[in-house]
Amino acid sequence: MDHARQKQQFQSLTRPWRDRLFSVARRQTRSLEIAEDWTQETLLRAWRDFDQLTETVAVYAWLLRILNRVVADDHRRNARRQRLAPMLMISDDNLLQDHPCAAPGPFEQIMQNQSDEQVIAAIQALPDTFRQVVMLRDIEGLSYQELGLVLNLPSGTVMSRLSRGRRLLAGLLIKAGATRARDKSAIRPLKIRESANDTA
Amino acid sequence: MTPHDTNGNTTPERLSELHLQLQDWLPGYVDGELEPRQADILEAHLAGCDTCRAELARQRSLSMRLQQVAALRMSAQLHRRLDTMIEDTPPPLAQPARKPRWPVTLSRFMPQARHFSVGGIIGTTGWALALCLIVFMLLPGTGTPKPIPMMGDVMQEYQSLPSERLTPQNVRPESDLPARLAGCKLVASWKTRVGGEPAEAFALQRGEHLIIEYRITENVFYRNPDVRQAIADFGDYRIRENALEVLALPLKGAGLLVVGPADAVPHRREFIL
Repeated sequence: MDHARQKQQFQSLTRPWRDRLFSVARRQTRSLEIAEDWTQETLLRAWRDFDQLTETVAVYAWLLRILNRVVADDHRRNARRQRLAPMLMISDDNLLQDHPCAAPGPFEQIMQNQSDEQVIAAIQALPDTFRQVVMLRDIEGLSYQELGLVLNLPSGTVMSRLSRGRRLLAGLLIKAGATRARDKSAIRPLKIRESANDTA
Repeated sequence: MTPHDTNGNTTPERLSELHLQLQDWLPGYVDGELEPRQADILEAHLAGCDTCRAELARQRSLSMRLQQVAALRMSAQLHRRLDTMIEDTPPPLAQPARKPRWPVTLSRFMPQARHFSVGGIIGTTGWALALCLIVFMLLPGTGTPKPIPMMGDVMQEYQSLPSERLTPQNVRPESDLPARLAGCKLVASWKTRVGGEPAEAFALQRGEHLIIEYRITENVFYRNPDVRQAIADFGDYRIRENALEVLALPLKGAGLLVVGPADAVPHRREFIL
């Protein structure tokens, strides 16, 4: 295949996935610059390895797998940053059983009241292993088979990580929702006083 | 006396272990990824376990909320940067034969083919035969094309559409149509599922024909490699089966499937996207 044709085929196969690839990268870091660099590095590696893409089953899964390696390599290089990153230590099983907002109705209410930014912030707070699986399944809509392929995991592990990841995320969102509700109620009396002073 | 199993565990301990194990199946149940037998076992457990039922409801809410998270778009500047990078980077050199890191076409068509590499069992003649077989299997028309689930879903819904669904109740405004078409009247709209994911259907009357437009998720739309390639090369994909025709067109962040009687589905240029 001549080079121009090869380039054109690469672009036509990968272009439709660029934004989604960037979305996945962006949701794994708070830095726009890092997300852009990861996306660029992923497409560069994909282009260099394009001749290896002889199986056309899932271009997107192939790109995600490369992105996964890019992110892992970057984390390895920045070991210091890794050490400084806050470790998430939560045992939310008790929280999920005891918290009043954990009941199905109130929980759904909390879910609907969260903005996308708040949901993404909670996902970003999850440990890598759980964040990836939750994000790729629930936001990107990958099947378990595709998840196994992208993350190089057996399907049983995919399901158990998803189970744990969703529980952790539910716990984080409940805590965040409860904190916001508390803050809101703490602010309200102040506003009433202010308006009372204004009228006086 | 509390009964013990062969490991010496008591019944409450066994039930607790089972409960923990089944908790890991809940995502599979929510996502429809469990085997039927697993689903039966889990349903039996759910009937008597409040904790798992609550967990199931939470996982459903969480999963639904996450599906609504909007996709992010990269800047035009980054798009340009990527285009320049690809343009400036030399094309991949042909690699020497090596074990591929990604499944290859051969193993897709012939999973047993990997056993051929077991050193020297098949000599030169064997390899020549294998090569002939591969060439034969890769020739157009020699293999049975794999059905495309999204196409099957929309054709099946078209064929089994109950007439009451076409009653003009709760019809959405024409501005919601994924693609407008001259001379058509929107007669019904509803929510459905295509390729295992949520989709919206819009039934249009065009003369004496009924045409249905489906707005489906981008993920489902680009799942099939033949569709992806055709969209990349020609801008659309069209199939004809059982006197029906389906046209696939890309939308911004989604996909459009148009299904109707064969020869009644308009050319893609007629759609206003």
